[in-house]
Amino acid sequence: MTLADYKYADTIHRCFRCGYCKFPVNWMDVNNCPAYARFRMETYSCGGRLWLTRAWLSGEIDWSDHLAEILYSCTACKNCEVKCPLRFNVDILNMIIAAKSEMVEAGRIPSSVKKFLENIQRQGNPYGHPRVKRGEWMEGTGIEPYQGHDFLYYVGCVGSYDTRAQEVARALGKVMQKAGVSFGVLGNDENCDGNEVNKLGEETLFEMLAEENVAQFKKLGIQKVVTLSPHSYNAMKNDYPMFNGDFNVMHYIQLLDGLLGDDRLDISGGYNATVTYHDPCFLGRWNNEYEAPRNVLKAIPGIQLIEMERNRDSTLCCGGGGGNFYIDLLGGSERSPARIRVREAHATGAGILAVACPNCLTMFEDAVKAEGLEEELAVRDVSEIVAEACGIK
Amino acid sequence: MSSIFVMAEHRNQALADISLQTLSKGRQLADQAQTELLAVVIGKDTTTYAEKVAKWADKVIAVKNDRLEEPLAEPYQKILAFLIKERKPKIVLMGHTSLAMDLAPPLSVELECPLATDCTDISLQNGDVIVTRSIHNGKVNAAYSFAPCDTVIITARIGEFPIEEGNRQGQIEEIDFPFEEEFNYKKFEGYVAQEIGGVDITQADVLVSVGRGIKEKENIEMVQKLAEVLGGEVSCSRPVVDYGWLPSDRQVGLSGKTVKPKLYLALAISGSFQHVAGMKSAKMTVAINKDAGAPIFKVADFGIVDDLFKIVPILTRKIAELKDN
Amino acid sequence: MDIIACIKRVCDTSEADAIKIDSSQRDIEKSGLAFKINDWDEYALEAALQLKEKLGGTITAVTVGPQEWNDILRRALAMGADTGIRIDHDVASEDPYIVALILKTVIQRLPHDLVLFGAQSEDFGSGQLGAMVAEMLGIPHATLVVSLEAEENKIHISRELEAGTLESYTIELPALLTIHTGINQPRYISLGGIKKAMEKELQVMSPNDLGLSVDMLIPMVKLKRLELPPKGKEAELITGQPEATAGQLAKTLKEAGIF
Repeated sequence: MTLADYKYADTIHRCFRCGYCKFPVNWMDVNNCPAYARFRMETYSCGGRLWLTRAWLSGEIDWSDHLAEILYSCTACKNCEVKCPLRFNVDILNMIIAAKSEMVEAGRIPSSVKKFLENIQRQGNPYGHPRVKRGEWMEGTGIEPYQGHDFLYYVGCVGSYDTRAQEVARALGKVMQKAGVSFGVLGNDENCDGNEVNKLGEETLFEMLAEENVAQFKKLGIQKVVTLSPHSYNAMKNDYPMFNGDFNVMHYIQLLDGLLGDDRLDISGGYNATVTYHDPCFLGRWNNEYEAPRNVLKAIPGIQLIEMERNRDSTLCCGGGGGNFYIDLLGGSERSPARIRVREAHATGAGILAVACPNCLTMFEDAVKAEGLEEELAVRDVSEIVAEACGIK
Repeated sequence: MSSIFVMAEHRNQALADISLQTLSKGRQLADQAQTELLAVVIGKDTTTYAEKVAKWADKVIAVKNDRLEEPLAEPYQKILAFLIKERKPKIVLMGHTSLAMDLAPPLSVELECPLATDCTDISLQNGDVIVTRSIHNGKVNAAYSFAPCDTVIITARIGEFPIEEGNRQGQIEEIDFPFEEEFNYKKFEGYVAQEIGGVDITQADVLVSVGRGIKEKENIEMVQKLAEVLGGEVSCSRPVVDYGWLPSDRQVGLSGKTVKPKLYLALAISGSFQHVAGMKSAKMTVAINKDAGAPIFKVADFGIVDDLFKIVPILTRKIAELKDN
Repeated sequence: MDIIACIKRVCDTSEADAIKIDSSQRDIEKSGLAFKINDWDEYALEAALQLKEKLGGTITAVTVGPQEWNDILRRALAMGADTGIRIDHDVASEDPYIVALILKTVIQRLPHDLVLFGAQSEDFGSGQLGAMVAEMLGIPHATLVVSLEAEENKIHISRELEAGTLESYTIELPALLTIHTGINQPRYISLGGIKKAMEKELQVMSPNDLGLSVDMLIPMVKLKRLELPPKGKEAELITGQPEATAGQLAKTLKEAGIF
C-alpha cells in the first residue's frame, strides 16, 4: 500500500518531533513512553514511529522484521495522545494501529504476534489453550453460569487461563458473592473480547469477535456487564456500540466502589499495609477512571495509601498492552517499564503494589522477581485486598 | 516366514546407533520367526561395517561402489530394490533416518509393497506383522497390520529399540552393483556444517534448562557439561535471558520457544505458567529444585528436592560412568 | 514457475491433554479440538509464495479430504495461492499410498515445475506422502528441505540430516520437495484475507472423476486400533543423599533411553 491509500495520509506528516509524546502529563519524568523507556531511541516513541511509518508507506524504507518490531512494541498506553500538544493528537495512536493493520494484511508481522492472533482465531485466547479449559478457574467456587442474572461477569483470556490471574478472577467472584451481587459467567462459552486484537491492527478479526460477542450477549439477554480487565471494559464500552452492542459496562472497581458506597460489603476485617496504586492505562488514560480505585482502597481500614509520582494520567504503562503481555517485545531487562515501575513503587516505601488489571498483575509479578524484591514488595489486585478485608479466604 | 533384512546405516566413519538398534530388533524377530537375519551394508568401503553387523546377522550383503561415497538415496533404492526382488524377505527394516525419508517411500512404490514408518514397536502375531506408531503428538498409539504381501518395509523410530549385543559370525557376501543410470538429475553438492553460534533448541532431543537459581553466569558452565554428557543443549527460563546470562534463543516459554524434547531437565526453575507453556509437551520432564512446593513438580515425571549445585556435578559424573560401561 | 502445493488439514492436539479414543477405536474424539493447516504444509506454502514473488508463475493448492477441508484451501488462497483443488475422499484409511495415488493422478494433469509437500503431518507423521508421489510421477525428489533457491530449470536445495548437518543438492526441474519447518517464516493469514478468499471458487472432484475406482484405492497398511499410552504417574520424587539421588536419576534416564 502506498501513502496515498493510507487513512491518515494527509495528517501523518504533521508530527514535527517536539518529543512531548515521551513525557508524562505531570512532567515528572522524561521516559513515560514504555517502549522509549526501554530502548531510549526516538524510533520507539510515537513521533519516531510516525516518521518511520511515513517513510515506509512512501517507499523510502522497506518493510523489515525490525520495522515490524518497532511498530508492535507500542503498547497502546495512550500517553502520547494525552500529551501531544497538536490538534491531530486524537489520531496519533490510531495512525500507528493503522500501520500495524497494513502489516497484518500483508501477513508481515512478528512471529509472536502471528501466534497470538492465530491462537485467538482458533481457540479464542492468545495462549492457544483449549476452549474447554476456559472455565476451569471457577471450579469449587460455586460461581454460576449466566442465566438471566443481573450482571454478566466477563473474565477475559488472562483471567481465565493465567494461573496467577485466575486467583484474582476467583477473589473477585467471591467478593461479589459475599456482597450478594447477582452475576453469572460464560465459562467455556466465553470468547476473547478482542481489545488487543484491535490494537494489534487485525481489524477484521476484531470485527468478528465483537459481532459474535454482541450476538451472544443479546441472545442471553445480557444488559449489564462487569469486567475483570480494563481491556475488556474498554472494548465493550467504547467499541462494541459500533456493532450494536449497547450494554451497560462497568469495570469491577466501579462496581466495588458502588457496593462500598451502599454498605454492601463488610470490610471491617481491614488490611494492614502501605499500599501504592498503579493506574492501568485502559482504565485510566483510556477511560478516565482514577477515583473509584482510590475510593475503594481508602475505604479499607488499615490501608495507608501512598501515591507514586507518576499517577493518574501520568501513570507509566506496565508494558503489557498491545498484546505485549504475551508477545513481549519490551523484554524483561532492567529498563523494561514493568521493572522501572516496580522500582518506583518500592521507592514509595509501600509494601503492596495494588493493581486493577490482570495484565499489570502478571507483568509486575515477573518484574518484582527480576528485581529481587519478593521479600519487600508484593503485587496484589484490588479485588484480592478487598477479599481479605472481607474475611474471604 | 522368509528372511528379515536390516539395512545398516553408517555416518562419519561409524555405524549409526540406530542401526545397532534395528539389528537387535531384527535379530529378536528372526529368532522368534525362526528365520534368517540378513544385514545389508552399502557404501564406498564397507569392510569394517560388514564385520560389525555380522555379529547380529546370519548373512551380510556388503555392496561396494565408489559412487556410494555420496549420500544420494537413489543408488540405495536401486540396490535394495534389486536385492528385495531377488531374495523376497518378509520384512525390510531400517532406521527412520533422514536417508530413510528419501529412500523408503519411493522404494515401497517401486516394489508396490506396504511401508510403515517411524514405528515404535514391531511384533509377530500368528504369522502377521503388526507395528505400532505414536501419533497425535505422542498422545495416542496406533496399531497397524498389513494386507497379504511378500514384503513389508518398516522404518524404526530412533532410540526406541534397545541394543542387545550380538555374538554371531554372519557370513559376509560382497557384491558389486553395476549402476545402469547416472542420476544426473540430482547432483550432490556437499555437506554444510551447522551455523556456529546459532542454536535451535526446538530441535534438541535433550534440554537441560536453568532458572534464576543458577545465580551467576559462570555457573552455567557446570550445566553445559551436564548437557554435553546427555547429548543435549542448554536452555533456560526468562530471567536468565533478562540477566544476560544466556542469549534469548535459549529461552523456553510463552515469550520464548516451545520445545518438545525427549527429556526436559529443569534446574532451579519454579515452573511458572509462562514457562511451562513452552515445555509441557516434553516426553519426559525431570525437575531439580530446592523448593518442594515449586509448581514444576506438578508437571514433572521425576523430581529431586535438593540444591542443584549439589546434584548436578554428581549427576554429570554418574551419567558419564554409565555411558562408559 | 508453476508450483503445486499439497496440503493437509489436521486437528490441533498439541495443547489438548485429555485426548479420548472414540467408540470405533479407530479415531480420536474431535469435539473441542481446533483444526488447522498442517504446520509443515504452511512452510511449503510460504516457500511457494516466495518463489512466485521472485519468479512469477502460479500456485495451485491441492488437498485430498472431505468437505470440511475446504477451509484450508481458503487459507492457502488467502495466503496467495491462485487456485484450490480438493479431491473429495475421506482419508481416514491413512495409508499414504492411496493418497499418493490420488495426488499423482491430479498432479500429472496440471502444469508443474515444482511440487511441494510438508515433510510430514502433525497428526500421523509418517513422512511418506511426498516422496511416494515423486516416484509415481517419475520426477526427482528430496525430503526435509531447509533451504531452497530456484533458477530457470533447476533448484539448489539443502536438506537436514541428523545432528544438524545439511546435504546440498542441485536438482533438475520438474522436481518434488518435502519442506521442513524453519525454512522460512510463514506469513500471517488475516481474517480479512480469508474473507476475500471465500469468494473464490474451489475446484472439487471425486476419485471417480480422475478415473480411480474404489478397488484401485485399497490400502496396504491397515489401522487396527488406537490406544492411549499407559498413564504417566505423578512426579515421582527421588529421595536421599545427593550421591544416591543423582545416581538413581542417572539410571532412570539411561533406562528411558535418553542416553
